[in-house]
Amino acid sequence: MKKDTSHIRNFSIVAHIDHGKSTISDRILELTHTVEERDLESQMLDSMDIERERGITIKSNAVRVAYDADDGNTYQFNLIDTPGHVDFTYEVSRSLAACEGAVLVVDATQGVEAQTVSNALLAMNADLDIVPAINKIDLPSAEPDRVREEIEEDLAIPADDAVCVSGKTGEGIHDLLESIVYLVSPPSGDADAPLQALILDSYFDEYRGVVATVRVFDGSIAKGSRLQMMATGDQFLCDGVGCKRPLETPLPELGVGEVGYVVTGLKDPALVHVGDTLTDPARPCAEALPGYHEAKPMVFAGVFPVDNKEYENLRDALEKLKVNDPSLTWSPETSVALGFGFRVGFLGLLHMEVVKERLEREFDLDLIATSPSVDYHVFTTAGEMLDIKSPQDLPRPERIDRIEEPYLNAKVIVPPDYMGAVMQLAIEHRGITKDMVYLTEKSVEMHFDIPLAELILDFFDQLKSRTKGYASLDYEFADYRPSDLVKLDILLAGEEVDALSFIVHKDKAYTLARGLCDKLKEIIPRQQFEVPIQGAIGNKIISRSTVRAVRKDVLAKCYGGDISRKRKLLEKQKEGKKRMKQIGTVDVPQEAFLAVLKVDDDA
Amino acid sequence: MRRGVRDVSASCGIYEALWLARLHQRPVGALYVHLPFCRQKCAYCDFSSWATAAGDPLIHAYVEALESQVGELREVGLLEGCRTAYVGGGTPTLAGERLVGLVRRICEAAPTIAELTCEANPDSLDDLLLGRLRGAGCTRLSIGVQSLEDGELRALGRIHTAAQATERVAAAVRAGYDVSCDLMCAIPGQTDESWRRSVAGAVSCGVGHVSVYPLQIEENTPLGLLVGDDEPAWNDPEVQARRMELARDLLSDAGFARYEVASYARSGRRCAHNWAYWTAVPYVGLGCGASSMLAREGYDALRDVAPQLPEVPVDVRRVRLCCTSSRQEIARRPALHRLSFDIELLDEGQAAAEDLMLAMRTVEGIGWGPLAHARAVLGAGRVDDALAWCAHRGLVSHTDRGWAPTDEGWLLGNELYGRLWDLAGGDVRSLSVSGRP
Repeated sequence: MKKDTSHIRNFSIVAHIDHGKSTISDRILELTHTVEERDLESQMLDSMDIERERGITIKSNAVRVAYDADDGNTYQFNLIDTPGHVDFTYEVSRSLAACEGAVLVVDATQGVEAQTVSNALLAMNADLDIVPAINKIDLPSAEPDRVREEIEEDLAIPADDAVCVSGKTGEGIHDLLESIVYLVSPPSGDADAPLQALILDSYFDEYRGVVATVRVFDGSIAKGSRLQMMATGDQFLCDGVGCKRPLETPLPELGVGEVGYVVTGLKDPALVHVGDTLTDPARPCAEALPGYHEAKPMVFAGVFPVDNKEYENLRDALEKLKVNDPSLTWSPETSVALGFGFRVGFLGLLHMEVVKERLEREFDLDLIATSPSVDYHVFTTAGEMLDIKSPQDLPRPERIDRIEEPYLNAKVIVPPDYMGAVMQLAIEHRGITKDMVYLTEKSVEMHFDIPLAELILDFFDQLKSRTKGYASLDYEFADYRPSDLVKLDILLAGEEVDALSFIVHKDKAYTLARGLCDKLKEIIPRQQFEVPIQGAIGNKIISRSTVRAVRKDVLAKCYGGDISRKRKLLEKQKEGKKRMKQIGTVDVPQEAFLAVLKVDDDA
Repeated sequence: MRRGVRDVSASCGIYEALWLARLHQRPVGALYVHLPFCRQKCAYCDFSSWATAAGDPLIHAYVEALESQVGELREVGLLEGCRTAYVGGGTPTLAGERLVGLVRRICEAAPTIAELTCEANPDSLDDLLLGRLRGAGCTRLSIGVQSLEDGELRALGRIHTAAQATERVAAAVRAGYDVSCDLMCAIPGQTDESWRRSVAGAVSCGVGHVSVYPLQIEENTPLGLLVGDDEPAWNDPEVQARRMELARDLLSDAGFARYEVASYARSGRRCAHNWAYWTAVPYVGLGCGASSMLAREGYDALRDVAPQLPEVPVDVRRVRLCCTSSRQEIARRPALHRLSFDIELLDEGQAAAEDLMLAMRTVEGIGWGPLAHARAVLGAGRVDDALAWCAHRGLVSHTDRGWAPTDEGWLLGNELYGRLWDLAGGDVRSLSVSGRP
């Protein structure tokens, strides 16, 4: 049994988008002969279709490579990929907690960019050894010296030793691997101490049950070990361990300091939580690893099939998705306008988008998602408290004593130049600035209390755009506070459409109602009849717009008797209509139900 | 209302019998011939036509090829009793004397033709050609005037002036032709006022027929590329509707009755050829991109000279073909069995639904014959429900001859046709065949 960890290096690669994180990962796999060039599917590490298409990482992934270093030793590198979005900050923090080092990739032509700063700060906060790498030096416009200075000045990271590489040509990758050997500390665990291992990620395998990706801090795990998850107390018998190279390779054991997978044999994915600590129930470690909390859905939206006959299929699809995404929760919901569907809980807006896209793509469903909502606590005059996750469940105003909504502690890290813009944005979103701390000369950490409902709308996009992408956002639940909230209803052609209702702060109701009516007017296509759109609070109409009637829709020209052409046009129009929901006499496109996310802020 | 339909249709056996005869008619009632040559391509046009010099030997060879194809059709008896012919384009008049020869050949092959139309552009229609075509058997000219405002003509990429157009149209009328003018609305630079002038100008030339089209912006045309994803104000559906209604009012004041979505005629001056398209009369089209519609019986006859066409399943009632051979291929190897086609096969229900949809383009609407047939084939309840839905939306109204489109139904035709075509159920089978080597 190998008890020495001096040959192990656990690290992540972090970068601004498009600075070449994935190509460098690919080159490392290639240079270490982990995959042969001909097998190298570009961007090996991002395996889900949607991840590859959108260039984002949603699930964590850990690949082990063997590197024959110049000093004659063979090193075990564990390359841990991290999700890159605020919805998944918790997963990011767990992934980084499994590393001792981070390779910070900076584009040699563009230099330090917004996400370079936020990612470097994340890595420094996690106390990682940082290996700066200047990428794309094969480009004629590369300026490695300028970029080196930027890294030192903007990030306060010594960059004399920054490695110049080209993910494209492979130049410098060898030097980078050598730097990792010298700059990243080996893990410092105790092989004989009681087992303490961190769960970074998990996925479900039909045959083997839940497979967890873990980092062993102390002790070791072998097939047949009895293991216990400390947060939940659940136990299981380890069915096998191994690592990914990048295909799964079984190993006799996962030793101290190593990263790999553990086959749990558990059939319920909900039992295994990212961030939980694995230990030996017979000889448990003194305490769990810090930082665990359960990934709780924060955002709730109605998800309905366009065609009501698909309801059962939607339920089956959700159940199948949950197997790989235990954070997903749902309960049945009925809407007058949309029929039967589910109120689904998500970690955040991106999570919602990704889930909706996966449901549509992997299960061939046409879905409507309604505006996201949060979990409101409604105190009735009768003295009970109701959990309201959907605006249509809100009791009539005369029955409501008060409504409380979830508040967050939000943390924004931003260059000082943008502090004003961020404070302005926070005020617009009912945020209360608590304090701010200078982390370095070039970055300030600002703290706010802000209602979750405000954050889930467009706060993150706005933050990114108003700070030119420099701000990073992190948040955690704070508490429930009373707010003056009202339900905004939308009427189409005089009929209230429950799926378009929205809970909003009273002071913002008028602006939002106006913006929403205007947006819906853009989204809803002209129909044969004029369609009035009205915003109302209770019985009071507070805004109005009108979709004008379509006056002409006919292919007049005769085209020498080419009737097929006319028929094909009709069929195309019908196809378009099928994707819309008919509400009363009005054909409403799917995106109308998310219109509130697209209301212009100047509206 | 639905009650009434049943009562009348119950006693309309004779109409249905007449209609059925048409659905099984072996020879064609109409012949279309396509000449895909223009001096210059207009900015908005996505039709099968290419800029070609007037003296290009391809024109000669291509027209000769079509003449021999007309002969082949006659050989198998498909042109027996054919009533109309239409030489469209492109700009047929660009072919000059070649066009005269083609018209003569068509009249020889189908002596029953009573209406023979040529499309013409003002810039290639001189007095000599007017006389020669008339002598060869052409009875009708459809002249692409589009607008009588020079600025608008330039914006469309037309190569003639308003004055030239007025003068040529008047000359054609004097030469004894039945003359139709094509006019285009919702075009760049057009105002309600300038549109009125164009319509009035065309009427004052003495034409008996006017076609009115809103400009359709097509992708992959210079105009489409220029406009991109924009929806220009000059082409707004609102503008299109207003101009179509303006034209309707002006033309009806001048004694023209609307008989189809885009067509207006003085009494007795309807285009019998186009009428055939909307009323289930079989027709055959020759040339690059030309369309044919044949009853199964006619299709089987065509297979005698075009054996590359596959035998079709027994349930096929109607076949639509579109010739996909290029101009050069047609010119080089003219025989019908060398041609390539896209083919659509319609079963009885699809043909019946198509007939309902096409009938609604005309002022007559759906008469008792096709209605009774459609109810028998598609199910009386379904047909009645569809018509009731259309009536509820104000797209059709009940007349003493059946169901006819309202003004709203004409403007929102796609809504109406779409609902009727829905009755077809199932996708139309389609296939492509290549000519014999």
